[in-house]
Amino acid sequence: MPQEIRLPDIGDFKDVPVIEIHVAPGEAVKKEQTLVTLESDKATLDVPAPGDGVIGELHVKVGDKVSQGSLIATYASVDGAVASPPPAAHPSPPPPPPAHVDFEADLVVLGAGPGGYTAAFRAADLGEKVLLVDKNATLGGVCLNVGCIPSKALLHVAKTIDEAAAMAAHGVSFGVPSLDLAAIRGWKDAVVKRLTTGLTGLARQRKVTVVTGEGAFTSANTLRVETAEGPRTVRFAKAIIAAGSEPVAPGFIPSDKRIWDSTAALEMRFTPNRMLVLGGGIIGLEMATVYRALGAEITVIEMMDQLMPGADPDIVAPLAKRLGKFYDKILLKTKVTAVKAEPEGIVVAYEGEGGPKTETFDAMLVSVGRRPNGKMIGAEAAGVTVDERGFIAVDREMRTNVHHIFAIGDIVGQPMLAHKASHEGKVAAEVASGHKSAFDAKAIPSVAYTDPEVAWVGVTETEAKARGIKYGKAVFPWAASGRSLALGRDEGLTKTLWDEETQRLIGCGIVGTDAGDLISEAALAIEMGCEAEDIGLTIHPHPTLSETFAMSAEAFAGTLTDLYMPKKK
Amino acid sequence: MGKIDVSVPDIGDFKDVPVIEVLVKPGDEVKVDQSLVTLESDKATMDVPSPLAGKVAEVVAKVGDKVSMGTLIARVETADAEAPAPAPAAKDEPAAPPPAAKEPEASEPAAGKGPPPAPASPFPAAPAAAGPAKPDFSGVFAGPAVRRLARELDLDLNAIKGTGENGRITREDVKAAIAGAAPAVASGGAGLPSIPPVDFAKFGPVETMPLSRIKRISGPRLHASWVNVPHVTHTDEADVTELEAFRKSLDEDARKDKAKPYRVSLLPLLMRAAVATLKAFPTFNAALSPDNSALILRKYWHIGVAVDTPDGLVVAVIKDVDQKGVLDLARELGELSEKARAGKLSPAEMQGATFTISSLGGIGGTAFTPIVNAPEVAILGVVRSKMAPVWDGKAFHPRLMLPLCLSYDHRVIDGAAAARFMRHLAGLVEDMRRVIL
Repeated sequence: MPQEIRLPDIGDFKDVPVIEIHVAPGEAVKKEQTLVTLESDKATLDVPAPGDGVIGELHVKVGDKVSQGSLIATYASVDGAVASPPPAAHPSPPPPPPAHVDFEADLVVLGAGPGGYTAAFRAADLGEKVLLVDKNATLGGVCLNVGCIPSKALLHVAKTIDEAAAMAAHGVSFGVPSLDLAAIRGWKDAVVKRLTTGLTGLARQRKVTVVTGEGAFTSANTLRVETAEGPRTVRFAKAIIAAGSEPVAPGFIPSDKRIWDSTAALEMRFTPNRMLVLGGGIIGLEMATVYRALGAEITVIEMMDQLMPGADPDIVAPLAKRLGKFYDKILLKTKVTAVKAEPEGIVVAYEGEGGPKTETFDAMLVSVGRRPNGKMIGAEAAGVTVDERGFIAVDREMRTNVHHIFAIGDIVGQPMLAHKASHEGKVAAEVASGHKSAFDAKAIPSVAYTDPEVAWVGVTETEAKARGIKYGKAVFPWAASGRSLALGRDEGLTKTLWDEETQRLIGCGIVGTDAGDLISEAALAIEMGCEAEDIGLTIHPHPTLSETFAMSAEAFAGTLTDLYMPKKK
Repeated sequence: MGKIDVSVPDIGDFKDVPVIEVLVKPGDEVKVDQSLVTLESDKATMDVPSPLAGKVAEVVAKVGDKVSMGTLIARVETADAEAPAPAPAAKDEPAAPPPAAKEPEASEPAAGKGPPPAPASPFPAAPAAAGPAKPDFSGVFAGPAVRRLARELDLDLNAIKGTGENGRITREDVKAAIAGAAPAVASGGAGLPSIPPVDFAKFGPVETMPLSRIKRISGPRLHASWVNVPHVTHTDEADVTELEAFRKSLDEDARKDKAKPYRVSLLPLLMRAAVATLKAFPTFNAALSPDNSALILRKYWHIGVAVDTPDGLVVAVIKDVDQKGVLDLARELGELSEKARAGKLSPAEMQGATFTISSLGGIGGTAFTPIVNAPEVAILGVVRSKMAPVWDGKAFHPRLMLPLCLSYDHRVIDGAAAARFMRHLAGLVEDMRRVIL
């Protein structure tokens, strides 16, 4: 049944021109979807659809001047008759206005990981009344509690052990270290606690309400949180889904105290003699680094033909070479076919180029990837589309298919990285708070905190080839870096990739000590559109590892003197 | 017959002109020459008319699109569509998408242009209900802070030309684009001191009226000319007693013209006199080369005439004035002024002037300083003639005197040359017979 959409109260304005029309007759619209945009001398304002429906006829055109009460369009509501416009109908699932509401919020953020808490804090700073929901009482999500941060603490332990041992060859011997697993665990936990406590304080200072419990949507404007004290209902105007991901657990792998995911590995239950790492990606190799330093013999099984799939092979090669010396075995193009938990150990059958084999390990880390939590949050009740893998598609403003619900972080797609999530969190919070913002980053750096570290940003060489990009390349080997040699290492590489036409940096890969810290300069250079000379002519301190980036740029520009490079052309 | 593509016709030297208004929507009936969309160049607005009568099938152009000659605007179904031929069933999508229809969310930027976006856009298919798509900035040469500013201002950086080194889009470019000015062509001066804002309402009631579109366009151009050109205004006067008598007789005949009555003002006579003077002083018909190192002498004499319209000042250009008679000029002036006041001047009718005349004679005044219409180097201002006692050596005679004001670019023209130019012009005006010599 057709209804009229008239211009609501827009404040003191009269005769405001229509500058844009976003819909056409016959078009289906959702509640709150923008129909036309007006421009007063102060601002632009959007006229939203009062509910889900189909536009009948448009009564305005661009340039028309409208005032409060002007007829904008006719439309037929999907639900048929809609009583009166203002308290508008809820979208598709018939409105179950909860009998009882425990919390009201402008914005609810589901998930308090690095993306979620950043979004919550940013929105609070922009004046929104924010409610933050997480199943854990400690904020920070996987990253702070069972991911980035605790693993870095343990990797520092590993590095200290390895470096002390390496110095024996250069005249300084510390002897065999004595390891107190409980104390190491305690230190790691203290680092985590300090950070998560800090977050709780930041939330309190911003008056962000934190509700602990599993949250799930019950409609497009309500969320139920299963708290320790029972279910609680949150009514919200806008939402940001930041529910993250969890480790994939293949079905054929049994449950056992000696079979770990990354979370269990960080618990430091014991140091196995023989440890299998299933999956040679960043997480698997970082944990392997820790346990090897603590004394475990490591076997890595990876299905693909290189460690750390996604990174360029030449950047991974120095790491692979070093690990080859320290690890028992690195098996590429190999598949695990069966895993049994026996009293004497974990019996693993696998099949690779050398045919099928069976081996027994004291422990096994399963690090074959992470899966988004899109299917665990009742998204369908809110009308949010989740794909079959659990990802939620968003646009540049981080909006889902439901206009007032946003999603960020691991749940919206690869790469699943904390720094991507926090950046997206800010964008979503800004858009949700009525600001104009969008995800416009040109590059997202990736870092593996192995020894040596591997880091890359922008276009990889593999990707450049696959996409047919015309690129130039320069590589600076760290064997020519005095600083690297003084650290007792020489295997690093700094590789830069350049757009042939514009001579601007488009990608960088670094392997070597502190590569993860060095990559930031390349990320900045890509964002700023730096040319090789911008970088080469910036004076870098000597002797540093950061010099290698400038030297790689000089190698591309043809001005490098620290190596002899045959003339181009 | 079916659908006819309507593209942007020849609009002169303009390229990438923004669409500021879309006047029709699919389903509208249109007549021949009915305006479909309005474009706005830095000089003027112009309408793209429908070449035929029919029904609008599709409107491709959107407000904000930049179009050039040949860009597809819309498809119109001819009125006689039903009659012949197996008219392809209603909504048969044309096989190839219109080449110029710019998708704002083109996810794959054309290869080769600009740095390729780093990771393949992290955004899958844009979700359905999300509002209007935001443009993709991945191929844009601008730092993150400038990209953010553009987002805040709803500006598509893909459509902006950077003036920074190697075309980097700077914060200033974004601000200039928003202000509607051509991106910072401006001069060297490191920013002029600005006029401090005043809260006028504090002192009494006020009303804010937006500047007309013409004013918003002409303002920055006038300012650029004023700031870049060192102006001098030279004034002189000419005895037009006899010329005015001659003009009156011409005008009387013109009013009785059998074909179409018209008027003869002083302007066409002044134009002929000016052209004869310009031929004698070619530098006044010149332009300064863009690098200011040479004069470009123009071997044609197109005179711009400033026309007062309800929306603001517009300059109509009359071509080849040296080849036209005074009566032809009078007729043409009448037609152009009428078109200018109706806002119907075509871009061709506003381009190519070599010298401009601004006449306020119909209103009044004793003298004024016109602003040179750069890159022209001189402009003649004319005010109202008045009866004055003129001493002939023995006695005073009442003579009708016409004040003439010449503003000129002092980089090109010296004061002495200007004085001679004006004497020459006054001499011709006082005895128009000399024009034919």
